[in-house]
Amino acid sequence: MKRKLSILVVLCLVISMLTACGGNREVSTSEVSSKGEAVKLVVAARGGSHVDVLESVKADFEAGNNCTIEILGLESSDLKQKVSLDSKNETGAYDLAMADDPWMPEFSEAGIYANLTALGYKEDPDFVKASLDIGRNPYGEGDVYALPFAGNVQLLFFNKKVLEENNFTVPESWEAVLNIAKAVNGKDGKVGYVIRGQQGNPIVSDYLPILWAYGGDVFDKDWNITVDSKEAKEALKLYMDLLTNGANYEKNDIVAAVSDGKAAMSLGWPSWYISGGSATAEYASIPSKATNSSTAYPTGMIGNWMMGVTANSVNKELAFKFLQYVTSADIQKKAAGFGGVPTRESVFTDAELSAKYPYFNTILEGTKNSKVRPRTPLWTDIETAYGAELSSAISGTKSIDQALADAKAAIEAIMK
Amino acid sequence: MKKRESGFAYIMTSPTMLILLALSIFPLVFNIYYSLTDYYYLSHKDPGFVGFENYINILKDMYFRQAVFNTVKFTVLAVFFETLLGLAIALLINSMHKGRKTLRTVTLLPTLLPPVTVALIWQIMFSNNYGIINKLLGGIGINPVNWLMDVNTAFYAILVIDIWQYAPFAFLLIYASLQSVPQGQYEAAKIDGANVWQQFICVTLPNIANGIIMVVLLRTIDTFRLFDKVNILTKGGPANSTSTITQYIFQYGVKGLKVGHGSSAALIMTVIVLILAGAYIEKSFERQKAL
Repeated sequence: MKRKLSILVVLCLVISMLTACGGNREVSTSEVSSKGEAVKLVVAARGGSHVDVLESVKADFEAGNNCTIEILGLESSDLKQKVSLDSKNETGAYDLAMADDPWMPEFSEAGIYANLTALGYKEDPDFVKASLDIGRNPYGEGDVYALPFAGNVQLLFFNKKVLEENNFTVPESWEAVLNIAKAVNGKDGKVGYVIRGQQGNPIVSDYLPILWAYGGDVFDKDWNITVDSKEAKEALKLYMDLLTNGANYEKNDIVAAVSDGKAAMSLGWPSWYISGGSATAEYASIPSKATNSSTAYPTGMIGNWMMGVTANSVNKELAFKFLQYVTSADIQKKAAGFGGVPTRESVFTDAELSAKYPYFNTILEGTKNSKVRPRTPLWTDIETAYGAELSSAISGTKSIDQALADAKAAIEAIMK
Repeated sequence: MKKRESGFAYIMTSPTMLILLALSIFPLVFNIYYSLTDYYYLSHKDPGFVGFENYINILKDMYFRQAVFNTVKFTVLAVFFETLLGLAIALLINSMHKGRKTLRTVTLLPTLLPPVTVALIWQIMFSNNYGIINKLLGGIGINPVNWLMDVNTAFYAILVIDIWQYAPFAFLLIYASLQSVPQGQYEAAKIDGANVWQQFICVTLPNIANGIIMVVLLRTIDTFRLFDKVNILTKGGPANSTSTITQYIFQYGVKGLKVGHGSSAALIMTVIVLILAGAYIEKSFERQKAL
């Protein structure tokens, strides 16, 4: 009797487990209510100030469109992974998703975003062209799949006091940057220039503007790999000279060192140094020339955050309306107060905002003189391999020639 | 009768078997299957069968080979020093008469912290610019060291962090084993004229051997999965000197969404862990059979 009872209990447990496993399908939060209730839009956003901006402006849209909007703030790689995984579902969990600009080729090829041009989007010339081009597929010429939600471009940051003490003005070439670094480094314990040489994305983002200033690039226009070109070797040599006359820090140390006047210069993203109307260091566009007499090239690495309607959203039209709303000039003006950086020329040049946020003008100039990272869906892997070899070069475990040759071989293997 | 009993045993173990099947066997089979395909999650094409191509590519990949070397080196060093330090702390605290409880609790604190928190705390302490470690070194006239960016120090900096966090875990298990050593054996050893070292070798060590083996096994398996600290502090650099197998899998399988490639790397890692843990697992089965 006891045994039979035990068997019965076990069977009940197994059945209840199986029942739990085969439970009801979770209803997507974004499904349209059949009872005419308020529709819910879900936005997968990059955490931080972007979420603050979205949260601050969503109420008016909700009231005017009988809907509720849920903003999910996610860490960068988490955002990419979640949006990618969700893209395979018939009905998406997210109606809108943000993307860092290097992800755009991968997202476009995978069909993660809906075609906004097909949804009726009329191109708005008020967007800075370099920013809007990122959302096109193919890049710069195709239909629009995402709109630039937040502007961002790398700048040169410097400590004005340190430069003035040494009688230097803002450098306009990398040769001038190196000369300043040489003059400042070691003087009263100061650091001439700080590189961000951490393996992976940091070192690649830090080195590419120098490579571009030398006229080099990762690929030529026919997609031949050129990371080991003469220009690339010269650029890497200069990068290592900067390290010799400076230091290699991670982001927080860089910001602290330049802001406190311990270091003279570094490259960086505006949000590191600038908050609201004040900045902890002076800033300028990244030098676009190798030497004072050489040709100038676009060098400001663009890093806009894009936003698009997901292809598997069941509320595409409403999501598209919200996307146009949050990227409109009025909202970008409001968003500036919450740390938002615009992507529209009219907002950048707005007299009131320019007075309040003087860095807007530098970002606009930088964006106009910007360059995108190579538009290939394989960029994540390329950046990993390239970053490892650049790190080997600056660590001294490989010569410049060897590191760049190995980088080329690794990128060739990825591109196969 | 025997048949009925074994049937009953199967029924009683079926819930566990189901969980094992759903959470371990099923994913493992899928992992093996995907490792033989070119499955890229975002591709519109169905995964194509590529045989052992992923394995061949991975084994030829210098970044993977470096990651395996680093992982094995790290595991051997970390497990050795964590066990040794854990044993030393356990013996010290066990020999104390006063403050034992307080010290026991305080010692365990690092193990209770999440690895991400530990990594961030040490990142601040190791900071080249304002970190306390460089400040202290500066106090005795030593120039700042770029702990996490220098190819000569980054690996060992992460090793120190891991030892700091997990030596207390080794202490806990060894300390528990020490509590079960019969005091009579020490008394007998003393009567036989054994000194402290001889007592340790002949009485303490044999009695806590199983505890030490358990520490070595658990720490080996866990250390082999080292990821958070590396990903936060060095991203595998400089010059791949801190790259690990899990970071490689994350980079290609998770971040790059190349499921086929990542699955192969994960399976290779599983095999290496099984080889390392095999001796202990075999010994456990033998012990069970003997019982």
